Amino acid sequence: MIKFTDISKTFIVKKQEIHALQHISLEIQDGDIFGVIGFSGAGKSTLLRMVNALESPTEGTVEINGRDINKLSFNELRKVRKDIGMIFQQFNLLESKTVYDNIAIPLVLKRMNKADIEKRVSQLLDFVELADKRNAYPAQLSGGQKQRVGIARALSTDPSILLCDEATSALDPETTDSILRLLEKINKTLNITILVVTHEINVIQHLCNQVAVMERGHIVETGSVLDVFSNPQQNITKRFVRNVLPDTIPASVAAKLKEDTRHYKIIKLRFLGDNVEENILYYINKHFSAETNMLFASVNELQKTVVGIFILQIIGDNTEFDKITAYISEHNIQWQEVTL
Amino acid sequence: MIDLGVPYSQIILAAEQTLYMVFISLAIGTVIALILSVVLVLTNPSGILKNNIIYSLVNTVVNIIRSIPFIILMVFILPLTKMIVGTRVGTTAALVPLVIFIAPYLTRLFENSILEVNKGIIEAAQAMGASHFEIVWYFILPEARGSLILSVTTGTIGLIGATAMAGAIGAGGVGDLALTYGYERLNFPLMLFTVIVLIIFVQIIQSVGNYFSAKVRGH
Repeated sequence: MIKFTDISKTFIVKKQEIHALQHISLEIQDGDIFGVIGFSGAGKSTLLRMVNALESPTEGTVEINGRDINKLSFNELRKVRKDIGMIFQQFNLLESKTVYDNIAIPLVLKRMNKADIEKRVSQLLDFVELADKRNAYPAQLSGGQKQRVGIARALSTDPSILLCDEATSALDPETTDSILRLLEKINKTLNITILVVTHEINVIQHLCNQVAVMERGHIVETGSVLDVFSNPQQNITKRFVRNVLPDTIPASVAAKLKEDTRHYKIIKLRFLGDNVEENILYYINKHFSAETNMLFASVNELQKTVVGIFILQIIGDNTEFDKITAYISEHNIQWQEVTL
Repeated sequence: MIDLGVPYSQIILAAEQTLYMVFISLAIGTVIALILSVVLVLTNPSGILKNNIIYSLVNTVVNIIRSIPFIILMVFILPLTKMIVGTRVGTTAALVPLVIFIAPYLTRLFENSILEVNKGIIEAAQAMGASHFEIVWYFILPEARGSLILSVTTGTIGLIGATAMAGAIGAGGVGDLALTYGYERLNFPLMLFTVIVLIIFVQIIQSVGNYFSAKVRGH
């Protein structure tokens, strides 16, 4: 388990204090794929780098499996670091060494003998599907291949935690997908806890099961990806989630609505999992006299759970509207009134 | 064969003296410079072993020596030369000032080469749990190798220039030959010959340096 307790980090740049992190507390359970999302400058990389003490907090503690990482001696810290793999946005491979030698480096640092290194590196090359690039140099590889080498290098010492610092941000969407699938495989088959820092919401959507949203050094929202995505609370979270789960009325539809002179209200419904199957719209139309008009609908899958977002125009008087919303609430469906 | 006004054996001896001075002082200077440049990079304000005192000390010493012209440095440190090699004159005596001249020069060149190494590599090394020595040995030096070779090349060519002045303390060499026999005896063919020899030396060294640098970076 990784546990941040009341972490603050203040940098002093040109005599000015910069509060990179403020009072952050977070727990990451073993086996999680935990995503931290935020715009650049939110402090997410600083937070990630505290896990292997590349960065130390001004206040607060970071515990890895119950041990305060900042209280370790340098030699103890080095041992802990060998149990934490890390991959980077810019890959950080040694340009002067082959793929094989890059992956072997952490093992050389562990004083492993040559035969064992050979065996382990071959195994890793197969795992990341780069066996044919064994003797290539990083400059001869594509971005996705470089990141695979980075991943193999990070896994070579068989760590229990893998840190990903914007690991897919330099890659195209297709390559990003293949790296995400590889990371998922690592989490499932090797049971490695993964901590991901990113500004790409689709990385959180496709990879993580837990998420924390950061803004200006604070964690503004955290929880399971399903909870946070299906019901985002903070504006920044809504902005991120909207990119993968759109929930706004298309502009052309909104323009037409403005010309609609009838008395109407607009509500947004959020369905989650099984209640998508209950045919709520059918019953609303059957039981109530108000006219309904579907303005927007999207259905997506998150963590193997269906998330549906419908926006309805309800044309009718207020009493009828109140009856309908009461009915929706009875069925445990989230709703909110929307104004144009 | 054209007559250069001096026996060929003397020309060959001068060439040998130059090569001897260049390569011995280069070898010693390179080792010293590698150590000092690594110290500078590790202890600089953004280095992984930030240490203002050591950094300022090395930095200042390097700057001071670099600001003394070689011919003055050579006579200025004569007592030190005498202490180290037991004599103030001759080819071997010239090695002391040559090393003291070239080491700080190479230190600066190496420092730049090492600073070119991607900071991310050092971070990756730290994340792997590498010790400071391991970071230098397994990460920084291999990554800087191509650039370091070019720095040595530049340093070597600078050294050839310095050896020409070593004649002032009786060290001999090609430069001395050109001055005493070519210039003072108004022997233009000899002067021309030595200039050509020096150009060939420099060209060969530069080509060899480029070749090896490209070879280690060539992927």
